[in-house]
Amino acid sequence: MSRMPCWCVGAMFIATAASAQSGVPGAIDPPRSPRNANYTISATLDPASRTISGSETIVWRNTTAQATSELQFHLYWNAWQDDMSTFMRERALGNAPAPGTLPRTAGEWGRIDVSSIELKAPAQADLTALQRFIAPDDGNQHDRTVLLVPLPQPIEPGGSATLALVWTAHVPRTVARTGAIGNYFFIAQWFPKLGVLQDDGWNCHQFHAGTEFFSDYGSYDVSLTVPAGWPVGATGVQRERRDNGSNTTTHRYYQDDVHDFAWTTSPDYLERTARFDHPTLPPVDMRLLLQPEHANQAERHFDATRTTLKYYGEWYGAYPYGHITIVDPAYQSGAGGMEYPTLFTAGSRWLAPARVTTPEGVTVHEAGHQFWYGIVGNNEFEDAWMDEGFNTFSTARAVAQVYDPNYLAVRYFGGFVPWVFRDIAISRETDGNRLSGYRRDAKSNVQSTPSYRYFPSTGGSITYNKTALWLNTMERWLGWATLQRIMSTQFARWSFKHPRPRDFFDIVDEVTGRDLRWFFDQTYRSSNVFDYGVQDLKSTKEGDRYRTSVIVRRYGEAILPVDVQVTFRNGERLTEHWDGQDRWRMYTYDRPSQALAAEVDPNRVLLLDVSMTNNSMTLAPQGARAATKWSTAWMAWFEECLLSWAALV
Amino acid sequence: MGGAGMSSRPLDSTFAHRTGVIGSVVDGMRRVTRAPFVLLGVWALTLLVSVPLAASLRSMLANHLGRSLAADTAARGVNYDWMQEFGDQATGLGVTFKPTIIGFGAVLDNLSAFMDNTQRPVVIVGAAAVYILLWIFVAGGIIDRYARNRATRAHGFFSACGIFFFRFLRLAAMQWVVYAFLFGFMHGWLFDRLYPRLIHDVNVERTAFFIRVALYLLFGILVAACALAFDYAKVRAVVEDRRSMAGAVGAALGFIQRNYGAAVGLFGVNFLLFAIAVGMYALVAPGAGTSGVSMWIGFVIGQLYIVARLWVKLVFWASETALFQGRLAHAGYVARPEPTWPDSPSAEAI
Repeated sequence: MSRMPCWCVGAMFIATAASAQSGVPGAIDPPRSPRNANYTISATLDPASRTISGSETIVWRNTTAQATSELQFHLYWNAWQDDMSTFMRERALGNAPAPGTLPRTAGEWGRIDVSSIELKAPAQADLTALQRFIAPDDGNQHDRTVLLVPLPQPIEPGGSATLALVWTAHVPRTVARTGAIGNYFFIAQWFPKLGVLQDDGWNCHQFHAGTEFFSDYGSYDVSLTVPAGWPVGATGVQRERRDNGSNTTTHRYYQDDVHDFAWTTSPDYLERTARFDHPTLPPVDMRLLLQPEHANQAERHFDATRTTLKYYGEWYGAYPYGHITIVDPAYQSGAGGMEYPTLFTAGSRWLAPARVTTPEGVTVHEAGHQFWYGIVGNNEFEDAWMDEGFNTFSTARAVAQVYDPNYLAVRYFGGFVPWVFRDIAISRETDGNRLSGYRRDAKSNVQSTPSYRYFPSTGGSITYNKTALWLNTMERWLGWATLQRIMSTQFARWSFKHPRPRDFFDIVDEVTGRDLRWFFDQTYRSSNVFDYGVQDLKSTKEGDRYRTSVIVRRYGEAILPVDVQVTFRNGERLTEHWDGQDRWRMYTYDRPSQALAAEVDPNRVLLLDVSMTNNSMTLAPQGARAATKWSTAWMAWFEECLLSWAALV
Repeated sequence: MGGAGMSSRPLDSTFAHRTGVIGSVVDGMRRVTRAPFVLLGVWALTLLVSVPLAASLRSMLANHLGRSLAADTAARGVNYDWMQEFGDQATGLGVTFKPTIIGFGAVLDNLSAFMDNTQRPVVIVGAAAVYILLWIFVAGGIIDRYARNRATRAHGFFSACGIFFFRFLRLAAMQWVVYAFLFGFMHGWLFDRLYPRLIHDVNVERTAFFIRVALYLLFGILVAACALAFDYAKVRAVVEDRRSMAGAVGAALGFIQRNYGAAVGLFGVNFLLFAIAVGMYALVAPGAGTSGVSMWIGFVIGQLYIVARLWVKLVFWASETALFQGRLAHAGYVARPEPTWPDSPSAEAI
């Protein structure tokens, strides 16, 4: 089965995806997911008071092997009701506020108050008075992001419960990609949402500064009442639109087989539509809600989304929903670059030069999350690398297919004015996978630590960067065909499910036919760094031949087999395969020609190597010339710098 | 005393008619052009401060590259991976080695840092302090040379430098107080307190940008106004041989008040020259190049730009001197006698 050609698996998936889209907007038949957490929500936004009044009916089914006598809900917005929540405390760790950051005024905090919880089935009961907050991760008594509700009787495996909740939420000034600024509203993680019941109990973490979310799949039927004339973008498809006559309009959105629901509204949105067509992938209707100041960037957003749907679809599997909404968030909304099922926020700038991947990079990445997060629903609290890392790797790979070359741009004058350095083309392997950030934070966390326990300000380097780098290392080591088979198998097997790390590692072993636990011991289960280098190269004449010696070193603690290549002046090249275990190794040669250079890992397979400069040594060094060149360039900069100071004399 | 200091060189017959803005600029350019060694001298001064640090950085880069093959690509073009790797381990001077040093990016980097009051490493600030001190030293000689509009020779130049150095040091103390207020308090108030409040509810980037530009203009005008006053203080100190720098600043403010349009207009035209120099460089600024001929071509273009910037700075002083002298009853007046070796104060000091 594992040897089935990938095109065959892909074709089967495409056929399934195409057939899954029924004629009813947002409906998927047959179901692709367990659909054990289904929400019918009715919510009204009052922009003036920035409140949302909502009610919801949840139909939940226990899919585990254990009974449960309680329910646990996420109330994410309570992370922003004061600065004592776990989210706010973690956010302050190692992150001094930027100059000019204004403290929140009373009206700018957010919260959600549940005023009623009723059990409707299997029995009738008012549970309102029984609700209490818990803090399973850190015991912070001020944290109110997890609500526990005891049940009058346990829900047995396979059993269901129907609940009705009434709540009011105060929309915060934008924080963590959610909230309002001016008349722009982006509403995410906004309703009381069940955690995930697993065989070992509820997985319902507090809201943390460095991690995202986790929830079960289901159907969402959501009616949103907003001021008349305000366009709405939301997860799913609009099934109904009703003008209420009170200067409000109710938009009803529906979607099957998703694990979250987000929406946005603003009177300023420009609406654009386009379509993704592909010879073998199902078509996707694209809807873009665009800021007026980015009106000329619509096609860039669509093009990047097409790139994602095409390449991710070809590499991993088809996008099954048939529609996608791209939201271009407002300036200062902080909503840029975030994924939600069938909807994502991109993020652009008013001045966005060509050949620089803004907005393309973030658009590809967030659209890519439809695959890694949306369709394959890993636990982002605990294993964020399984979507963020997979997706960072995939983003870099997709961007390189279409937007190569793209260049470094630096923004000046308060970050508004971009300047493109056309001398510096961005590399997929190092810049796309963010080697520099990883290098700085490489030892900050062991990757196998639950993500929410990473140090908040450095966790991203491990979650995003390190994963992308070891995946790209695997690509270079095992070949793209093998890695593609690994990832497409992961995608096919875990679509609409919740994979855990061991599931991925099992697939790696299964597809490669090898036990690669040692590789993940070095990368995933360790914070050791890789650093191989050439310590010395000598090549001296002895008689009519040259005696060449190369000493290679393992400077880092982590171990991976690497090649050692020696190049001779007559063009001869010798490659050694070093298991990389020892701290050092010497290779000696007796050759008619003098050596020219020696390199460890000459093909740069090991992208996690934190120092590539020491990977090579040559007997015809150019360091002095390069240093002269760059120091003269630096000198012009420095003289310019001096003149700017001298202007005050 | 005034008569003794009157320039003995016959005045240009048209000088009296060139006391306007354009006339002063043209005259200022002419005075700078007639004193090429002053321009060469300040360029040498700039190199004097820059070359040791560039050599130090060169040593850091060479050490980091060692015998690595990474140097080959760094020499041929840009090895961005190596640049980042170097930057990640760099300290002190090394942290300034970034892609932003390339071509016109360098100018934007410095202009932006100036307007955003970006912190620079201590070693850069220290070198800039030395550079400013050198400028304070030569300022008297330069303005004296332009005021006399005739060759003063090295001994005349440096005797004026010596005479005015301590006066200008006192003036620099006043300048320091003013600029410390502007950059240490006013900038923070404008950009870290007022600006965030102004854009607090702005959700259109273009609007926020224009608000920031308005604040740049406001801050720039404040800095320019102070620079204008201190420039004329120096001019009046030299031309009128003033010893009190507080008096010179007061006199400068009086002059600016009486000749507001001309003084501001002249500053504007000079600023335009600065903008033209920057704009021209934007068109011809070299990229990374290779380590061969193109490196030296890039170096020469870069140095020509630096010389152009220095020329503009000197034209500022020369044209302001011309304007001030042109608005006096006796155009070309310089109060202090021209020093004659060995009777110059510097010689007496020896």
